[in-house]
Amino acid sequence: MLRASGQTTGEDIDLQGIVEGDAVETGIPGSKALLTFAEAALGDDLQEIAAARNAVIEALSEAAMVDAAAVIAHFQRMVRIADGTGIQLDPQMAALTTDIREQLGIDSYASAARGGLL
Amino acid sequence: MEASFDYSQAGYAIREDIPAAYRAIWRKIGEPGSWWSGAQRSALVREARNARSCAACRKRKAALSPEADCGLHNGSTDLPDLAVDAVHRITTDPSRLSRGWLESLAAAGLSDGHYVELLSVVVSAISIDAFHRALGLPLEPPPEPVPGPPDGYRPSGAADSGAWVHTVQPGNAGAAEADLYPGGRTANVISAMSLVPDSVRMQLRLARAQYLPLQSVMTPGDNCGRAISRVQMELLAGRVSSLSQCFY
Repeated sequence: MLRASGQTTGEDIDLQGIVEGDAVETGIPGSKALLTFAEAALGDDLQEIAAARNAVIEALSEAAMVDAAAVIAHFQRMVRIADGTGIQLDPQMAALTTDIREQLGIDSYASAARGGLL
Repeated sequence: MEASFDYSQAGYAIREDIPAAYRAIWRKIGEPGSWWSGAQRSALVREARNARSCAACRKRKAALSPEADCGLHNGSTDLPDLAVDAVHRITTDPSRLSRGWLESLAAAGLSDGHYVELLSVVVSAISIDAFHRALGLPLEPPPEPVPGPPDGYRPSGAADSGAWVHTVQPGNAGAAEADLYPGGRTANVISAMSLVPDSVRMQLRLARAQYLPLQSVMTPGDNCGRAISRVQMELLAGRVSSLSQCFY
């Protein structure tokens, strides 16, 4: 969906940021702060989370930080639904993302084997 | 006592649809489900929170095999040990869950309906707590249980769709499940927990507040008026999935 959404706005996006994190300049406004926030929010270091939160506010806005927190929370749920039920990647999505999954190394994830990708 | 999710002192302006959804989900978790009582469902929330500080879970997460013997969990509820272990694994080591493990739960007496409902409650709580943690807010007290037995409902259209648990696909959704798939469309991650239909309803409600309504999800570029663009949303989605080693 990231690539598809980028195509609708004509943005040139480096998808490597998904797997490599904030070291990658993705071309997306505020991406470094957002990626740092996502990484911190999955951990337990409250000071790190607070610093990451403030960085998103500084780079984007307070409302952006709140919406980012909601999206991060949403996907912490979604990954567990996928991992906990052993669903397969939807056929259309699998076909559309073959190149990206290979490029980003997603097919090497242990969960990919049970997801019908290998 | 009704859950408050009162963000008036949060220090940040938070869209009202977010606490409204959280209140609805918390109320729902406190009610009897299809396979667990309200008290048990509330206990599942407490157990998911226990897992975050569980030494056995930390040891297992670091072990080469998720089947390594890592001692006892720090459970503080009267849930069956099997359920406690499942909650802790889902919370702390989800990418190493497996079909074999799930089959072992069934063999030990935890039915697929019990498991799916447990998963639904746990992931909902994890998600709501994660929002609070990200914003530096205190966690809401666990849901207040509503007395009553579970109803044992199992949708007649549930069947093998390739996942580890049976699901109801749009073509098999009867009148009772017709609302799960507006327009007859779905994705596997949405139908994944349809063995317990209220689980899907809970997830759709949370998704509308935290991410996007289903019709917007299917439309690349649509951010439904959020303060971050759809590209920024999907960047976060991809990063969380990658950090969680989730291929989906």
